[in-house]
Amino acid sequence: MPAIELSHITKSFGAVKAVDDVSFSVEKGALFGLLGPNGAGKTTSIRVMLDIFKPDSGSVAVLGGPMTEAKKNVIGYMPEERGLYQDIPLDRCLTYLGSLKGLGAAEVKERAAAYLERFDLAAHKHKKVKELSKGMQQKAQVIATLLHKPELLIVDEPFSGLDPVNTQMIKDLLREQRQAGVTVVLCSHQMHLVEELCDRIVLIDHGKVVLYGALEEVQKRFSGNAVLVRSDRPLPPLPGVERVEAHNSALKLHLAPDTKPQEILRALVAKDIPLEQFEIAIPTLDEIFIRVVQGKGAGNE
Amino acid sequence: MNKTFLVALQEYRQHVFNRRFLLGLMSVPLVVVLMVGLILLIVSMQNNTTPLGYVDHAGFLSDPLPAPAPEPPDKPVPMVPYANESQADSALRTGQIQAYYVVPEDYLSAGKLSVVYFTAVKAPARIQFYDFLTANLLRDTDPAIAERLVEGSEVTVQSADGKRSVSTGDWFIVIFPMIVALGFIIAMFSTGGYLMQAVVDEKENRTMEVIITSVSPDQFMAGKIIGDIAVGLTQIVVWGLFIAIGVLVGRDSLDFLRGVQVSSQTILLIVVIIFPSFVMVAALMATIGATVTEAREGQQMTGLLGMPIWIPYMLMYTLMNNPNSPIAILLSMIPLTAPLTILVRDGVTLLPAWQIALSAAVQILAAIGSIWLAGRAFRLGMLRYGKRLKWHEIFARQGVKS
Repeated sequence: MPAIELSHITKSFGAVKAVDDVSFSVEKGALFGLLGPNGAGKTTSIRVMLDIFKPDSGSVAVLGGPMTEAKKNVIGYMPEERGLYQDIPLDRCLTYLGSLKGLGAAEVKERAAAYLERFDLAAHKHKKVKELSKGMQQKAQVIATLLHKPELLIVDEPFSGLDPVNTQMIKDLLREQRQAGVTVVLCSHQMHLVEELCDRIVLIDHGKVVLYGALEEVQKRFSGNAVLVRSDRPLPPLPGVERVEAHNSALKLHLAPDTKPQEILRALVAKDIPLEQFEIAIPTLDEIFIRVVQGKGAGNE
Repeated sequence: MNKTFLVALQEYRQHVFNRRFLLGLMSVPLVVVLMVGLILLIVSMQNNTTPLGYVDHAGFLSDPLPAPAPEPPDKPVPMVPYANESQADSALRTGQIQAYYVVPEDYLSAGKLSVVYFTAVKAPARIQFYDFLTANLLRDTDPAIAERLVEGSEVTVQSADGKRSVSTGDWFIVIFPMIVALGFIIAMFSTGGYLMQAVVDEKENRTMEVIITSVSPDQFMAGKIIGDIAVGLTQIVVWGLFIAIGVLVGRDSLDFLRGVQVSSQTILLIVVIIFPSFVMVAALMATIGATVTEAREGQQMTGLLGMPIWIPYMLMYTLMNNPNSPIAILLSMIPLTAPLTILVRDGVTLLPAWQIALSAAVQILAAIGSIWLAGRAFRLGMLRYGKRLKWHEIFARQGVKS
């Protein structure tokens, strides 16, 4: 049973169709990437998932059925628009938000203390939230999202505003959550982080699903017929290579449709070219994102 | 723990354990104490107990009865006889007396007397001299008649069914319901103000999205309304306690406080008319909070809401003189004008039961309607950051889904 299942969801605001026939599912325990350019319909999809918005049509199942008040206690949501009570001390803010997730006073205090320690915020717990730096508030928001040990975690741009050390901390935390069996939906523009963390992705553009599946499969689908070669000697002309371009410290060889990578490798070995790197060129998620969003479509589809 | 209660508790703590609230809470009793203190100061300044002299040429004060005891807080002023004006004059110049009266020989026929002073004789001393004069003029009359003539009459107006009566001496009892209404209106607006601010704060803090994935919008709004009404009731209870202490302390020395009590009818009006109005104002303020983008904008709209509430205050003279006029009855029914009108009328007339029942029904329906409106505006406006919710959107059918 998937943790989340969206089936043919449509949602309009006036004349604007924010989400148009969107379907995808997130398996339990997965770390799932929800991607899309600004205004693509990601936040609307999340709000529909969380029952903040009712869809115009289609159906949503979260943790095995429609959203209920009881399920809200096992869902952690960190919206892109961060929201903490600015005028109260950090510990009181966390206690309140934790108690709204069904935690008892002692339990919420104990958990908040542990997280505050881990996130280096213990010394600031009596400060008003507005007195904390942006990065600190970001970490406090993460704590508020995790305090009640959710089964399903939805995080929208969790890395924005964080330095590399804290980015690493959040990455570790998300991996830790997945290892603990928590289903994580990660919404981010930082493709290299999505690539690093997620098993499966969905890419939404103009309210429609344009890419969906296991990350590896998606990358293979977009890999095209090319290889990356690195050598300390210049490469001779090779049969079946249509175009050569520089790719970081290597060369990207675009092959003719009927040429196989093994044929190129054989030709290089035959010509006694010393090889430092030879691999099938798999596009980064960044490249796939740009290609899909700019309408270039899937490479070899 | 129930989430509505948690939201209410947070809202209550947020406002009550706050320096600004405590200052506001104490400011009203402080102002009352200051005003009472000022009145007592003025009274005591008028209480000049330096003796009054008199020169009696008419001859009925040669062996005088003592002056009747003055009513508190006035203090007795000794009356000193002088044989002639020159003796009295020298006593006045040496400060032994504050003034002296000259009762001429033809006083009984002419009714004229003169007074000599450096500083005008204040009312308490003057009244005591006149009472002294009257008591001695009536010394040969039946004591009961003499006392009645000196003390005068107290007219009591009674309703035909005998249930209500108002005495000319009980003027404070007449205005007491009005004071209660004003207290409620002040608390009503401060509560509503808190509620509006609370909703705007949730939007400004961007906490709305986090909160409604923890509690339902209805639980959240109910918690806010309950919490803020509890804040308002705290204000009223504290003020009520101060008033009760003031009445208990002051009734021994201030005559007008003696008959003060809250009638069962006033309590009924508070429960069935004032309380629903309280809820209605709070809910309307929450609606304003849900539609605006920042607190300043909300405050401007609050001013518009406040205007109808003060209409009865502007028509106070008419309401008190013609409490059963059509305008008075109409204002008793209209939401917002009803609280002040009905309590003002309660002080000066007997309210028919049908009017109380009809007004209560209108206020309760208006309160329910306002809560519905607030809930709807909240659902539609909660995620509108930086964009106002238009009133026609609240009533549009399309808005229901989001």
